[in-house]
Amino acid sequence: MKSRACRPPAMPRDAVPTAGAVQQALPLAEPAPPRTPLVTGASAARAERLWFCIWLPNLPLEASRTSDAPTAVVEDQHGIHRVLLADPEAQAAGVMPGQAANAALALLPVLQLEERSLPREQQALEQLATWAERFSSFVSIAGHDVLLLEIAGSLRLFGGLRALRQNIAKGLEGLGFRAMLAIAPTPLAATWLARSGQRACIRDAANLAPVLRKLPLACLDWPTALCEALGGMGVMTVGDCLRLPREGFTRRFGAERLLELDRALGHLPDPRTSWRAPECFCADYEMTEEQTDRELLLNICHELLLSHEQFLLARQLGTQRICFSFFHLKGAATELRLGCARAERTAHRWFELLGIRFEQLRLRDPVIAVRLRSGLAQPLQAETESLVFQGKPGSQLHRFSITQLAERLIARIGDQSVQAATMVAEHRPHYAWRSQSLLADWSSQTLDEPAQYLQRPLWMLPEPAPLPVDSGYPIHRGSRLRLVDGPERLETGWWDEDGISRDYYTALNPEGMRLWVFRNRTRAPDWYLHGYFG
Amino acid sequence: MSSSLDKLLENPRVWRGREQVGRQAGIATGYAELDKHLPGGGWPPDSLTEVLTTRYGIGELRLLMPALAQLSNEAPRQDFTEPGWIAWVAPPFQPYPPALQQCGIDLSRMLIVRPKEADEILWSAEQALSSGTCAAVLLWPDTLDDQGSRRLQLAAEKGRSWAVAFRPLAARRQPSAAALRLELQSNTQGMRVHILKSRGGRPAVIPKLL
Repeated sequence: MKSRACRPPAMPRDAVPTAGAVQQALPLAEPAPPRTPLVTGASAARAERLWFCIWLPNLPLEASRTSDAPTAVVEDQHGIHRVLLADPEAQAAGVMPGQAANAALALLPVLQLEERSLPREQQALEQLATWAERFSSFVSIAGHDVLLLEIAGSLRLFGGLRALRQNIAKGLEGLGFRAMLAIAPTPLAATWLARSGQRACIRDAANLAPVLRKLPLACLDWPTALCEALGGMGVMTVGDCLRLPREGFTRRFGAERLLELDRALGHLPDPRTSWRAPECFCADYEMTEEQTDRELLLNICHELLLSHEQFLLARQLGTQRICFSFFHLKGAATELRLGCARAERTAHRWFELLGIRFEQLRLRDPVIAVRLRSGLAQPLQAETESLVFQGKPGSQLHRFSITQLAERLIARIGDQSVQAATMVAEHRPHYAWRSQSLLADWSSQTLDEPAQYLQRPLWMLPEPAPLPVDSGYPIHRGSRLRLVDGPERLETGWWDEDGISRDYYTALNPEGMRLWVFRNRTRAPDWYLHGYFG
Repeated sequence: MSSSLDKLLENPRVWRGREQVGRQAGIATGYAELDKHLPGGGWPPDSLTEVLTTRYGIGELRLLMPALAQLSNEAPRQDFTEPGWIAWVAPPFQPYPPALQQCGIDLSRMLIVRPKEADEILWSAEQALSSGTCAAVLLWPDTLDDQGSRRLQLAAEKGRSWAVAFRPLAARRQPSAAALRLELQSNTQGMRVHILKSRGGRPAVIPKLL
């Protein structure tokens, strides 16, 4: 199952409950049912479930159709564009799946050829999944052309199985999709039945096995090579498969196939992931003609931000990231991304950040449309702010304001360039602190007590710089250094790759600069400059 | 007011007596000899200080540390602006947190900004100064002209913050709107502090400090 970036967080929906853990302990060689009590219990619970499968055999065609003209979808097969699917009009003219694209065009010159696009199909499927959420609280996308709805809980609401089925079928027809529907107590069985083209409707788990046994293997969506191998052995149907010895079947065709059969028959649980329509905001503002007036564009952005605020307000949500796209008539859209330290929804805060970035934004061409998309929506944590005359150090007022400053800086110069620092309890000088992004976790834990170090330099070099040596003394800028303090021996970090063994000294150069230098004890006694006392 | 008068008043060479009215006490430098020479007995608050050095690392930070430590731990002011954040804009090396902590700086209120482009240094410093969040903003600008120093000075006044710009000695001849300009030179004996300009005070030389 493809995971989606914009699914709302913190919603673990690895739905179908029951004993998922039982699966791995399965002894393959045993004859199928009944199994351990746990599994029996699980199948008893599953018996109440009913899966409605929507198989969309023509999805590639339906997802990429752009006009009413006869259309065919072509796919690149070994370097030759071949017709994958053709609509009825094209088929009437003799266009057949498997034909070369040129041959199809020769048969029907007005034929509209569309390249197959998997992302477009996925998008169409997701739109359908969103639509299907009205029929069931549990919709799952399986593979690239199958939707599964768990409908046991929806039957009463929609007035029974027949009414629900009609409802869905009519809806799909209205949306322009040709679908094969099937109902079964397990998701895989429903899928296979839909693929077989039967208008099957099995409510009782007891009736499942006889129907499944008759299914030809072609409905199973197994690899062609596997089906051919089985066919060569005279195994044509699911029932034939089930008659084979389990051990041998596993050895020849892999355990996964056998597990699939068990799941379809309901002997094993088959958990599915629920699909959720993303809680994202996306709004466009289209103009009648191209515009270059930046003031006008800013106003449009403001309007979009206001409706964004309304959207989030109604859902009690906030968001940390938004993205504006400025569309041009030609070429790619110009994008402008904004980030915020805390989930935020108010239009004026976003507008303020936008103002900073918009100044720098270079628009190549006039703009014809503006789109605002918002990132992950998250529950807004409203904070109680103290009254102004109660301001105390560490109060909300204090935090809020530095956050705003950080956001403004980050909006213009980037996340990596604005940082805070915290201490780490560590004796190696370069590990004794760490920088922290300001947009991430704000709470910085400072060690309460200053560590018991000797004097440390205020300026550190990013990397120790090797110093030339003259008769045992380090040289800095052409003159010999005078060691005024030290040594402080630091020998630690043996437990990881980056252990050190150094003698640190405070050195003075003729200019009066105090330097922090060290001599390596492990290798040849090289001198290094590590910092300035500044 | 007529625009020509406005223009005239914008000229940094025009000195206005009113600015001197109600002069605030300075931020104690931690060095009695330096305090003595500064009007208000310390670093000029809410304004720009320029520190000119031959090179970075000669002791310019140590000079500021007592005042920064004091600001870093200070309670909020009467008008509830933020207490004690210290922003470092475009530092030439890494300010080393353990050493800062040894000097008494509160690390949880330290912000290090490293703009990639030169004009962003001034912009970032201006934002930090005028936000009212930072008690002090230290910046290392590549270049800072008269106008830039004026912008910093205004931002510092607006946000009631102390701006410190570190610059090379060559900047000595450039005009600046800073309230205080110091030139630091160090040798093995100590550091020589030359007060080049001090609003409300007099130029002076402290032969040996630190």
